[in-house]
Amino acid sequence: MSVSFLDRLGETATRKLAARSSRRGVLGRMSAAMALAPAFPLLPVSRADAASAPAPAATLSDFERRAQSKDATKCNYWRHCAIDGVLCGCCGGGVHTCPPGTEPSPVSWIGTCRNPADGRSYVIAYRDCCGRDICATSKDCHCNTADREMPIYRPQASNDIIWCFGTASTAYHCSTAAIVGQAS
Amino acid sequence: MVGWSMKTTWRAAFSAMLMVSAAAHADTPVLQAEQSDVATLPPVAPHWFLPATAHDAYTIYDGDAGHILGTVPASGLGNIVLSPDRKVFYVADTIWSRGDHGTRQDLLQEYDARTLKLLREIELPPRALAVYKKQDFDVSPDGRWGYVFDMSPATAVTVVDLAHASVARTVDIPGCALVFPWKTGGFSSLCGDGSLTNVGYAGGAEVKVTHTKPFFDANNDPIFEQGLVDRATGRALFVSYSGKVYATTLGQDPVIGAPWSIQQAAGQPVAGTGVQDLAWRPGGAQPFAWNRASGHLFVLMHMGTYWTHKTAGTEVWELDPVAHALVRRIDLPEPARGIAVSPDAAPLLYSTAENGKIATIDVRTGTVRRTIEAQAGPVFLVPDM
Repeated sequence: MSVSFLDRLGETATRKLAARSSRRGVLGRMSAAMALAPAFPLLPVSRADAASAPAPAATLSDFERRAQSKDATKCNYWRHCAIDGVLCGCCGGGVHTCPPGTEPSPVSWIGTCRNPADGRSYVIAYRDCCGRDICATSKDCHCNTADREMPIYRPQASNDIIWCFGTASTAYHCSTAAIVGQAS
Repeated sequence: MVGWSMKTTWRAAFSAMLMVSAAAHADTPVLQAEQSDVATLPPVAPHWFLPATAHDAYTIYDGDAGHILGTVPASGLGNIVLSPDRKVFYVADTIWSRGDHGTRQDLLQEYDARTLKLLREIELPPRALAVYKKQDFDVSPDGRWGYVFDMSPATAVTVVDLAHASVARTVDIPGCALVFPWKTGGFSSLCGDGSLTNVGYAGGAEVKVTHTKPFFDANNDPIFEQGLVDRATGRALFVSYSGKVYATTLGQDPVIGAPWSIQQAAGQPVAGTGVQDLAWRPGGAQPFAWNRASGHLFVLMHMGTYWTHKTAGTEVWELDPVAHALVRRIDLPEPARGIAVSPDAAPLLYSTAENGKIATIDVRTGTVRRTIEAQAGPVFLVPDM
């Protein structure tokens, strides 16, 4: 499910511009966001704890039918069901590890993905790694999937946003896919 | 000896040719030294279109001639709007003092539409940063106010006084996002509970904020971000992932019509929301366009299952949103992620393929007029809409 060169070009053009902003200011506004919109879980942890993730589909989506659980550097790796960006595993990091010199965003968008190895669904936090320009990896490592992906008015499930809030720099480098918990 | 003789003969012939040539051009004026000058643009024409392109720009094309007229700088995080009087291009963008770091600056930039000179820059609070979201910024139909969507991640809208080149105020819109301007006096935003929030503002400190009841199912069939607004009427068309159209008249108390199905209008099965429900569906990064002259809605369609709302389309369906009827289906030369339509009665359809090529298509015949190597992304600006 890789995207075109021009998509990546556009992504590069946009994301390379994201850069440093005031951490204190951002955290203040994040607090405001949570105070103002308590029904709007922005942290994936609260999302998982609330057990409000969508129930796994009775039948499998096209992504789920084709997903594999062996190679985390591929777009069809099961955790990448709703990712939009460059895989950090292709950039010196790993599926939940940021590459050297970058910093994970404390907030992220989330997906609910089915692991074909155990048949269970898990809540996945797609944490962007921030602080460097976009990783110059191959086209195969740039993914854009959309299972349960939502518009920006549901930001916690929206993957077009530059998710580098609360980091020292808001430059986008790559995206990880960390397990938060089992979806209920 | 023979060699020398041959050389002499050739030289003589060559000299004769030069003399003849000089005589023939003796009355032709010598080319004069030139002064460098700068082109200006004619008034914005209905068949102009501006795709987001490589090199941080929106590139102005003449859709009839198929060539570039000029370039407006804007990053992929930037938004561009043509003022309702067509005299100014507004660009809302975000830059950093040291390229990829340093002091962040959010700006509303104003470019003269004839000279493309930068006229003014208005400093803004931090904007929302997302990939290609046209609905992050718009201008009121009277040209007086700019509405800039902010996300930090708390959501708000900065209202810019364009007459005085200053920020008028910021309005918090918790749980809501994007801006859809009314015919006059405010804007609405889409909310995570399936409603609209409506912000009335006519200057000064006072705002009036109202909420509609939820009218769409944000959990199971959300409305696309790329809703369309006709600024002249304040009417909007919102379309859901499964292809339901909600015709809405925006205002302090919006009037929202009963939804109708694009697929049903086209005599096709209604698309479900099951992950294996194969059907014609809207999709892409800019999947909708609205022709002002006919009032017709254009939708980028593909055959797919639910959650394929970002998938490129293979056809464009032209629909009459009043009659809820299909007008025609247009085959695209290549799958496209974004479309736009000119506002006039002889409309051109523009579609961007995943390889960055743009096809210009005569809507009335469905024929491809041109294919342009535009290095384009999936979003466009066209006049008026």
